[in-house]
Amino acid sequence: MKRLLKRPGVQTFVASIICILLGLLIGYIVLLFINPQGAWQSIMDVIRNFFTWSRPQQQLKQFGNTLAKTIPLIMCSLSILFSYKVGLFNIGTAGQYVAGACASLYAALAWGWGWLPCMLFAIVAASLLGAIVGFLKAYCNVNEVISGIMLNWISLYTANTILSNVKETASPYTLYLNKENPAALLPNVGLDTLFNKNTYVTIAVPLALIIAVLVSIVLNKTRFGYELRATGLNKNASRYAGMAENRNIILTLVISGALAGLGASMLYQTGYMRWECTQSSVPAMGFNGIAAAFLGGLSPIGAIFSSFFIQHITDGGQYVNTNFYSSQISDVISSVIIYLCGFVLFIKLTMNRMLSRSEEKKGGKK
Amino acid sequence: MLLLIQYTLIFASVLLLVALGGCISEHSGIINLGLEGIMVIGALGGALVMSKLSYLPPALMVIIALLAAIALGMLYSCLLGVAAIHFKADQTLVGTAMNLLATAAATVFVKAMNTAANPDNHSSEIEYVAGRKMFIVNINGFEFNWFMPLAIIVVVLVYLFLYKNKLGLRLMACGEHPQAADSVGINVYKMRWMGVLISGALAGMGGLCYILAGVSLWKFENGVAGFGFLALAVMIFGQWKPGRIALAALLFGLFRALSNTYMGFPALVSLNLPSNVYNMMPYIVCLIVLAFTSKTSRAPKAEGIPYDKGSR
Amino acid sequence: MESPYASEMLNITKRFPGIIANDNITLQLRKGEIHALLGENGAGKSTLMSVLFGLYQAEEGIIKKDGVEVKIKDPNDANALGIGMVHQHFKLVECFTVLDNIIMGVEPVGPLGFLRKKEAREKVLALSKKYGLEVDPDAKIEDITVGMQQRTEILKMLYRDNEILIFDEPTAVLTPQEIVELMQIMRNLAAEGKSILFISHKLAEIMAVADRCTVLRKGKYIGTVNTKDTTMEELSAMMVGRNVNFHVAKKPAQPGEAILEVQHMTVASKTHSNNAVKDVSFTVRRGEIVCIAGIDGNGQSELVYGLTGLEPLTSGKIILEGKDITKASIRKRSTSGMSHIPEDRHKHGLVLDYSLEYNIILQTYFESRFTDRMGFLRRKSIRSYSDKLIDQYDVRSGQGSITSARAMSGGNQQKAIIARELDKQPELLVAVQPTRGLDVGAIEYIHKQLVAQRDAGKGVLLISLELDEVMDVPDRILVMYEGEIVGELDPKKTTQEELGLYMAGAKRDEVRA
Repeated sequence: MKRLLKRPGVQTFVASIICILLGLLIGYIVLLFINPQGAWQSIMDVIRNFFTWSRPQQQLKQFGNTLAKTIPLIMCSLSILFSYKVGLFNIGTAGQYVAGACASLYAALAWGWGWLPCMLFAIVAASLLGAIVGFLKAYCNVNEVISGIMLNWISLYTANTILSNVKETASPYTLYLNKENPAALLPNVGLDTLFNKNTYVTIAVPLALIIAVLVSIVLNKTRFGYELRATGLNKNASRYAGMAENRNIILTLVISGALAGLGASMLYQTGYMRWECTQSSVPAMGFNGIAAAFLGGLSPIGAIFSSFFIQHITDGGQYVNTNFYSSQISDVISSVIIYLCGFVLFIKLTMNRMLSRSEEKKGGKK
Repeated sequence: MLLLIQYTLIFASVLLLVALGGCISEHSGIINLGLEGIMVIGALGGALVMSKLSYLPPALMVIIALLAAIALGMLYSCLLGVAAIHFKADQTLVGTAMNLLATAAATVFVKAMNTAANPDNHSSEIEYVAGRKMFIVNINGFEFNWFMPLAIIVVVLVYLFLYKNKLGLRLMACGEHPQAADSVGINVYKMRWMGVLISGALAGMGGLCYILAGVSLWKFENGVAGFGFLALAVMIFGQWKPGRIALAALLFGLFRALSNTYMGFPALVSLNLPSNVYNMMPYIVCLIVLAFTSKTSRAPKAEGIPYDKGSR
Repeated sequence: MESPYASEMLNITKRFPGIIANDNITLQLRKGEIHALLGENGAGKSTLMSVLFGLYQAEEGIIKKDGVEVKIKDPNDANALGIGMVHQHFKLVECFTVLDNIIMGVEPVGPLGFLRKKEAREKVLALSKKYGLEVDPDAKIEDITVGMQQRTEILKMLYRDNEILIFDEPTAVLTPQEIVELMQIMRNLAAEGKSILFISHKLAEIMAVADRCTVLRKGKYIGTVNTKDTTMEELSAMMVGRNVNFHVAKKPAQPGEAILEVQHMTVASKTHSNNAVKDVSFTVRRGEIVCIAGIDGNGQSELVYGLTGLEPLTSGKIILEGKDITKASIRKRSTSGMSHIPEDRHKHGLVLDYSLEYNIILQTYFESRFTDRMGFLRRKSIRSYSDKLIDQYDVRSGQGSITSARAMSGGNQQKAIIARELDKQPELLVAVQPTRGLDVGAIEYIHKQLVAQRDAGKGVLLISLELDEVMDVPDRILVMYEGEIVGELDPKKTTQEELGLYMAGAKRDEVRA
């Protein structure tokens, strides 16, 4: 048991569970304050998400919906953690996601491209945006957080402007993909049948899992990953060792952007969502990616599970009793979890201290 | 034209207040990326006072609203203080979490309040028509806002604090060389707390000022549209010096004001640009300015590095 | 009865995780004396002084001031008791003025905490006159010389009316002439009734200025002697526990053709304008060790940055083995046969959170023996290579190749760097303060390695601040002063005094490259 607790991976897992439990507890307390009567019911609804449906068929369908939205979240959290390994906080993931959405939807609706070209186009657009952040960081020393935020807003307004050309006349939403250009929809490859014919479950699901594994391999087993992590851990030493720092910064942010853009295409090209051309805030997907990345202990494999969890409770928010509460309670919970992730280092340190103290005691008795 | 000046001044006041908050926090050694969130919470406090206590005499109401914004801003900034000063948390991560939490919590709170008052009302909006009027003096169509002189007073105060006061001297020492400060008996943790709390107070005020800029109704789901980050850009452009920050705030305020008022300029309207272009303006200007000024920036040397008494 | 001691530290014990830094140490400081505290790096001198100054709390033992037991919990308490300290690394805020630094923490203020600088300035000027400490109160720290920075630190203590003054290795950063001045200042202070604790590992200085000397070794108290009644040899034996042969055994050099030629190199400085490298030319030949000597901060770091590619040259040329590498990247220089033991092993030399094996391949990870064609790391060959070097260079660590570099001792970290840089089979080795902070055994080892490189026909460029090292190891000495090479000396023919004059800028020749 003790030896198990000493392993860093296990420690990360325990720390994440502590963050989750505390986050849920705080969410529950907030609900209690608003209205004590339905609080327990509602927090359980958040946790249950699609299980609140009574029929298994429905549950499966809703599970598919959550899964469809988990995919872009996985990609966003991979985007965040990839750049974080190099010591960069790519908050611009949110904007790169927007760029990806804009590119894939416009290519699909205005030019009638097939699904793969649309997807590639989304990757290109988002990675260009990442390249801007990287360039500004590498050559002008601009803090990547601030330039990222600025680009988030710029890309939001740009997307609104561009996608207005392919929107419905009567509403602010873009045209239906399945009516205008079904060829741009991602293929289901039979996965929809597993989820009670939920057509939003597509090839994106296995693709995202494969990419998470790939990211893990790149970071841990390759020369490129060796360089990136060295840069993140000690910038000076990596320079001293002749690693091309500026090139690595830009390349990292390009890849980070590409992951976010791909994530957007993996959601919008299922037809699950349409773009609202009058939206006045940047979609939360990119920011939730931060939560998922840190909750997953900054490991690509961990990100898969943490992403699912974050999306699970975010979707669960819609099941709360809206007579008293609002669905944003999920956002409260996930932002509290991000906040608590700041304490993970401290939690691990405390764990180690407790472990070594109990060991000392044992040694003393012997 | 008058409208442009009015909006420029009011947006500049917002940016100035918040940027000065960021400046003091960074001089103490803590990077405050949660300014945006603190603004939201400060705005919430002010909006509540303005909508619920508008029967009070104007002067009293204005002061209470201000105090509410300040108090809530300071309270909320404690989240940063605890994590960054005592637990050595990643300041970027904590700031980001604070921004997300502020919007979500304000939305949940306002919705719950609205729903409690009227079961059919699920909006996240607060209205404060009467309250707003008390902040404003209408001079021939120019809406003079009390925040404008207030911002100027705050610049002077911050200048005096940083360069003429012993606390300012000590605070800046903690951001430059905390070990040196510690060695002469200055409590680094205390000074950093002071920096964080002052930044909370100023950002809270700035949040209130922001929602008073042009409207009498605020939808809290929208947050404050990146203004906290614009303020950080103002601070960097102003090289962490109050006077230069004031000038930078005016410049950014002008571009932000254009998006509200460009319809009044035939020359701009005739360009036939989509309104989104004007919306983007302040952010684009910010990027360009940062690209040219960041290379030589002289940020406090120890900012963002947790202080540990043990390591020397 | 009044105690003859200004302060006493009795049976002090201070532990850190895994190490006893001070083990039952007693130190008694008489009023008005200059008391030296002698010991090697890591002997526990700084820890003991930090305990006296309130930066650390001792687990055992008591501290007395004027015969009365006192508790010193933080520097404020120390200050209230009249104890002040000049730290080895100055505790000065670079962008503040001299005056601001002096008054910081004890500012004279009016209502609402507003500063009264006029008052403070008068007091500072009066003090600086009384003790002969010349400073400009309105200059910023970043613009003044190291000597003036040190005087600022001394004024900081005097401004607080401190009675007990601790000097932590105060001469390390000074020129010999500045050292003479400092000693005069210390004598003045003692004559005015101040009691002085002088931490040093330089025997000559202790013999010159101190009344008594307490010696520590590996955290233990060895003894206290009157300097009048002892000799340098005796002190040295107390310090290291055995008589050390300071001389490095080596055969006469047999220099071959030039391996490195530097022509008119100029490098801009990021911090001080007077530190930059100005029009420097020199040559290093095969089979010789050339040492760049000089006081810290006279452009040696920038010279190395320029040489190794960490900073670009403003003008000039670098030729390595006949090839112009002026514009070459860091990587290109490294693969062309230049190895670099960096000045700061934590900043540049190691990725502390990487394992030892990953640090061993830091300069060669991209070679085909460690990375396959697909870009994957060859884990097995990395491990066996790392194991081989660990064995060959006797790098000791807890878990061998997979030990985190952070968990290793400073000496073994340095050995790992040396293993890495030497095993690259360089033609030119640039070693910057390779023995900094190491114990005698490790220093001997490293010096032998440098000589071995020389004897194998490689060129060695050594940058050193330690006079002993400068006199013993190299075959030629180049002295740097304010960014220029002001003299070339033969270590066999010169003396420490002559070297000192060059280092202080008091003497200079026209040096031909």
